Amino acid sequence: MRNALLVDYEYCTGCHTCEIACQQERGLAPDEFGIEIKEIGPYQLNERKWQLDYIPVPTERCNRCLTRTQNGKDPSCVKHCQAGCLSYGPAAVLADKIDHAKMVLFG
Amino acid sequence: MDSEALSTAYAGLEKVATQDDPGQRKWTWEEDGFTVIRSSARTGPGCHDNCGILMYVKDGKLEKIEGDPENPYNQGRLCPRCLAAKEMIYHKDRLMRPLKRAKSERGKNTFEPCTWDEAYDIIDREMKAVVNKYGGKAIYVTQGTGRDINGYGPLMAQCFGSPNYGMGFLSGEGCYAPRLFSTGLKAGNMFVCDYSQFFPERYDDPRWEKPEYILIWGNNPVVANSDGTLGHWIVECMKRGSKLIVIDPKLTWLAGRADVWLQVRPGTDSALALALCNIIIEKGLEDTDFIDRWTYGFDEFKEHVKQYTAESVAEICGVDAALIEEAAVKIGRARSACLQWGVTIDHTSEGFITGMACFDLMAVTGNYEKPGTMLAARACFGVGVTWMPDPNAWEEIPNLIADENEIMNNDYPAVRAMHAISQDMILKSMETGEPYPIKACWIQTNNPLSCMGAQPQRILPALQSMDFNVVVDLFMTPTALACADVVLPAVSFAERPGLTGHQPYTLTALAKAIEPLGDTKSDQRIIYEMSERFTGVKMPWDDEEGFYDFVLRKTDFSYQDMKERTWAYPEFEYNKHEKGLLRPDGSPGFATRTGRYQFYSPEMQYFGLSPLATFEEPPESPVSSPELAKEYPLVLSSGARLWGLFHSEHRQSPSMRRMHPQPLARIHPDTAKDYGIKSGDWIMIENQLGTCKMMAEVTVTIKRGMVSADHGWWFPERGADDGTYFGTLESNINTLMPMRPGKSGLGNSYKSQLCQIRKIEE
Repeated sequence: MRNALLVDYEYCTGCHTCEIACQQERGLAPDEFGIEIKEIGPYQLNERKWQLDYIPVPTERCNRCLTRTQNGKDPSCVKHCQAGCLSYGPAAVLADKIDHAKMVLFG
Repeated sequence: MDSEALSTAYAGLEKVATQDDPGQRKWTWEEDGFTVIRSSARTGPGCHDNCGILMYVKDGKLEKIEGDPENPYNQGRLCPRCLAAKEMIYHKDRLMRPLKRAKSERGKNTFEPCTWDEAYDIIDREMKAVVNKYGGKAIYVTQGTGRDINGYGPLMAQCFGSPNYGMGFLSGEGCYAPRLFSTGLKAGNMFVCDYSQFFPERYDDPRWEKPEYILIWGNNPVVANSDGTLGHWIVECMKRGSKLIVIDPKLTWLAGRADVWLQVRPGTDSALALALCNIIIEKGLEDTDFIDRWTYGFDEFKEHVKQYTAESVAEICGVDAALIEEAAVKIGRARSACLQWGVTIDHTSEGFITGMACFDLMAVTGNYEKPGTMLAARACFGVGVTWMPDPNAWEEIPNLIADENEIMNNDYPAVRAMHAISQDMILKSMETGEPYPIKACWIQTNNPLSCMGAQPQRILPALQSMDFNVVVDLFMTPTALACADVVLPAVSFAERPGLTGHQPYTLTALAKAIEPLGDTKSDQRIIYEMSERFTGVKMPWDDEEGFYDFVLRKTDFSYQDMKERTWAYPEFEYNKHEKGLLRPDGSPGFATRTGRYQFYSPEMQYFGLSPLATFEEPPESPVSSPELAKEYPLVLSSGARLWGLFHSEHRQSPSMRRMHPQPLARIHPDTAKDYGIKSGDWIMIENQLGTCKMMAEVTVTIKRGMVSADHGWWFPERGADDGTYFGTLESNINTLMPMRPGKSGLGNSYKSQLCQIRKIEE
């Protein structure tokens, strides 16, 4: 079964750990990204409610940390994510975990 | 707490049993051609945490750092700084040898390398000349907030014979000390939020319950990770159902997810805290059982806070009264709540009092020592040297301080009671020689010209007028370049043994993964070698590991024991006040004079302050100084923490600098429009004290009518030769901050100044 990356961006704080973990693991330069944080907002939705979200998006450079995953380790971004909002595994298994808004699967 | 109380605070903690069984835990192993070393990232480069790490070493070189998934503290997670720490450890600019420079050359990039012996000889000679002429008290021994220094720096000071040790040039001791001392008088201990971090099983420990509400007060913990709190623990609590109330002039990510976000005007926090207390009491939501059994002076407090109505305080703070009421009801009705406070509390001139008001809110609602509330934070196994002042830490070592009473703090009874120094008095002394001269500085883990020191335009000439200065650091900092006669090169966490600290949950070891680069030494080794040289007395250990055996001498652990198990969690219990575990005499209650939590603190009168927490306008504000506000109409706040940068560190790290290429000042679009400023414009921030050049970031996240400016900036890429000390005074927001404490001598005004802004036309 195809593996996928599950992002729960209800809890992504935008801390950049995934970006740096990836660059360090893959030997990428500071302006080269295997995964990149995107900001949504800040938007004021009404008097009380705001949207200020961050979502990490894997790029063309992402190889799902092949040398790690072949040895049974999580990709470096998943392992180090400070918010624990990234998971890696079989797509169908991860799809079953989607139980609230702001969860998204990258195939 | 006075030193006698501090001594007894450690009694009985040394032999506490451990919660965790190390079992088969290993500290080193071979993996895929690497030697893996299990350790902890207890700085430098700096931060306030103790994350467990695995260092992957090949042929003596550190190739990779990963989070340690077995370490309960960070559970394998790691932040950008640590993941990219190699960029700092192996940076081409790292200092590799001791350096010396003639006094006449101060400020010029004309350092010459020397041996450690020669460097120590120069320091020994010059410091003794100062001692002979002015006494040991004329040596100012300073620390910063980063590297593992809190407990070790005082050893250097006592061996030089100086009672003047402290946070270099930090006005009003304005980082944790003001609120810790004032709330220590109220509650008898320091207390921290319960995010399960006292348990090695963490969130799965059956004794733990999530806080129903977390009050995020004046900090952005996921970025700041202040004082042994790993901010993302809060995210884990949110996943488990904890709700947030956020008090911040900025819409942080946490504020965006809060039930109630109170966007207060900087400097008005204590008014808000007292209003929340008043509303809770008015609505009958106070915890009467806790108040009756465990507190003192509630009736006076109840009367006193009646003046802080939702309406009047809404006006003061610039927030909606209905929101204040809503927050009060939510806190009052919560099963549990805890206070995640930040340095903002200390960065208002009356921060000493603001901390009291925040703790009163926790006491009104009985949120102490229950799961998910505020928990006493005592040194693990009594090893206080890594956590908080321990007067007995170095009792067997020569102490050359002639008279402890000569400590520089006479103007301020509260600072005197803390046995701390007044940095504000020290700077004046350097300028005027009064009340007695300061003539030399030992500056370690501290770059006050770029960071922490208020009015650096005064600090620069003061430092350059000294008879002698030593700086100990990993890099040539602006402070070292400007004033050092000798610079000593320190190592990173990968190159030394050690013990973690700055938190009360676990004792953890650092294991050396690689040899010190070049001719560098650890901060601790530098301190004890210099102490030996200066006193001529052999220290009671032979090497660095022996030094940590000495630090651990009252526990059942040796350094080797600690290295092999890496972490040890002392036994933990809730409801310590009910079980007689907080007071030295073993009786129930809090470790205060009355044995109770003191809403009414009689000690405050001795300091000339109100025994009940009260709100005062900041000295500079649109309300208290309307004339000044005509010229400088915007409220200026500084020091919000940034991802990847720790204060003035990491400016050399390409990955961290990518996230923050330039110093930024945040302004609301409505305010920016008034001044014709767009995002990306260079602006000048000005007030009656100074000017500062920054790039504007126009953002709706910040309160209208204010400026939130970065701190700690310098530009190592400029090189050391252009005479600007890496440009540190050009973009230094502290040039607008007065070196002036609150009335108690504690607290400063780093978050509540006035300013105006103008676009710099290119």
